[in-house]
Amino acid sequence: MRTKIKWMLTVLLVASLMLLAACGGQEEGGQGESNKKVTLWAGGSDNVREMFEKQIGYFNANNPDGYEVELQFITSGTGTQNLIDRIIAAKKAGETSTDFDLIELDATSVLQYLAEGGEDLFVPIDTSKVPNMSDLQFEATYRSDLVVPYRGTTVVLAYNSETVPEPPKTAEDMYQWIKDHPGRFAYNTPGSGGAGSSFVVTSVYNDLAAEALTSSDEKWTAEWDPGFKFLEELHPYLYQSGGRVVYPNKNQGSIDLLANKEVDMIPAWADMIISQKREGVIPDSIEIAQIAPSFTGSTVALGIPAFGSNSEGAHAFINYMLTPEAQNIALDSMAAIPVIEFSKLDPELADIISGLEIEEFRINSIGGLGTKLNERWDEEIGTLE
Amino acid sequence: MIVRKNHLQRWIPYLFVAPAFLLIMGVVAYPILNVMVRSFHIQEEDRYGLDHYYTLFTSKIALNNLYYTSYIVIITVLLSIVLAYALALYLRFTQSWASRLIGALYLLPRFIPGLVAVNAMITVIRDSGLLNRIALAFGYDIKPGLMFNEKGIILMNLWFNVPFATMLLMAALSNIPQSLIDSARDVGAGRIKLFVHMILPLTLKDVMIAATFIFMSNIGSFTTPYLMDSSSPQMLGISLFTQFSNMNYEYAAALSVLMFFLCSLSAAVYIYTNMRDKQWEK
Repeated sequence: MRTKIKWMLTVLLVASLMLLAACGGQEEGGQGESNKKVTLWAGGSDNVREMFEKQIGYFNANNPDGYEVELQFITSGTGTQNLIDRIIAAKKAGETSTDFDLIELDATSVLQYLAEGGEDLFVPIDTSKVPNMSDLQFEATYRSDLVVPYRGTTVVLAYNSETVPEPPKTAEDMYQWIKDHPGRFAYNTPGSGGAGSSFVVTSVYNDLAAEALTSSDEKWTAEWDPGFKFLEELHPYLYQSGGRVVYPNKNQGSIDLLANKEVDMIPAWADMIISQKREGVIPDSIEIAQIAPSFTGSTVALGIPAFGSNSEGAHAFINYMLTPEAQNIALDSMAAIPVIEFSKLDPELADIISGLEIEEFRINSIGGLGTKLNERWDEEIGTLE
Repeated sequence: MIVRKNHLQRWIPYLFVAPAFLLIMGVVAYPILNVMVRSFHIQEEDRYGLDHYYTLFTSKIALNNLYYTSYIVIITVLLSIVLAYALALYLRFTQSWASRLIGALYLLPRFIPGLVAVNAMITVIRDSGLLNRIALAFGYDIKPGLMFNEKGIILMNLWFNVPFATMLLMAALSNIPQSLIDSARDVGAGRIKLFVHMILPLTLKDVMIAATFIFMSNIGSFTTPYLMDSSSPQMLGISLFTQFSNMNYEYAAALSVLMFFLCSLSAAVYIYTNMRDKQWEK
């Protein structure tokens, strides 16, 4: 019996050493490759992945320097947090020459990256290597020296034009409409998607000082009370099923309600509504409108971590993303709002977003407060009967 | 020479077992321990304590989630077992083309991917779904009211669990020799007597096993409630997801431990049932 145990332990020990050795060996891979390889890290919904795959296919076949871009995609949910965590962890571990050559990030999260990873987290963009930047119509929200926006994104009001011939023009009108038409409006739980979160954030922040929306200072939480009181007041007028008010999960959850005509109006991402309408998954009668003050939106940008291994290739890809070809692809595959002058685009494609007026995005960058806001919503509004 | 061969023979089995064992240790045991330690950690004050567990059992929201989950799981287990048992009895003791057809088809739901099944169900039962549209064609606006509450989830759970339980119970019923049943009939046992005194006791173990499996697979269910439920109360799996997205990792860890504990209870029942069987065999 005792020998049996001895043997067992020996085998376990040997096997675990072998396993460790095998794991250790892998780390060394990656580096020896030629400097033509560029790894792009991105995250979000599946339409973002499809868009990047098309971009990369085009770029790899057509760039004169022969760069090979490879996509590492993290599907949304808790995943996006993952990319930030990975980048910060790699930075803190003092890694160099990693395959974090290029990352996609929400332009508002740059400050969060810098706060946690330090000022030297990104390589400053060398504008001489990105000549197309002269065509850029939007500034990255913050730190346009470090990140370059490649598409815009915004939440709008989506409505059924059969039942709502005249959509509200202001936030006040919208709230009044909700009260006048009980059960015909829905917004998704803010933790499960940006559209619902934008509705909650703007409802709470519309009456606060304008600078509050771009501040992650804890002091603003003290001023949330009237906003939450207002959301509570709206609660009984929202969509009901089985005799109680319901907040659907995910951005798609409220779009489904609108498409099935269970509600007439929802907040939704402009690109989701436009692409789904083009694909014919939602009826033609669904239209989008912008209200004033508007829901929030922002730009999505690309940045080059300082510990990547191909800054040249990363610059080349950023430059490509600002070409009319790339902007056309992004517009066509996910109704991304272009960041270059619309006149440079394929006019047929530009038609897709003709309904949108995007002189400027209303930026929401309340950082960590967003999580607190969602939590408070979960506790106070989500639990209302 | 002989000794050596003995040694070799002795340790070769362990060598074969080792990779699987190590893998389990690495990807199951270690994370569980890690989560357990983490669940006692109070991040803000960097100390260890029972605070998260205290919240779990005192906060109104957390308790509601726990009751709600238990309610759904228990109803699911009971309904699944009753329906599956009835179906299995029918399939075992009725010889007709209908029973043969059902016997061939009843496992089909198991082969439909979960996400597809949930979305299909939503399309049928939502207030603007197939049922509603059929009713509208006849001039009635019937809203089933099955979405965004426990009714839809339980319905969905039955879709997933009834075939599975039927499969287990069918196997158990098939193991009862026909000769045994015939002889009991010969000495005058009626249908009810036969069922209560013979069939039920002989299959009770399998009923328990099916019940524990259904319990375990539903206590942490995610996809169904995520797509079909409302924002409150939440099933534990959804609550875990919410806490995780809100980056309350330590509280989420405590919630995970609670779910792990609930599953362990049912695992204990499972092991106990199996052990008892071995005693009967003696």
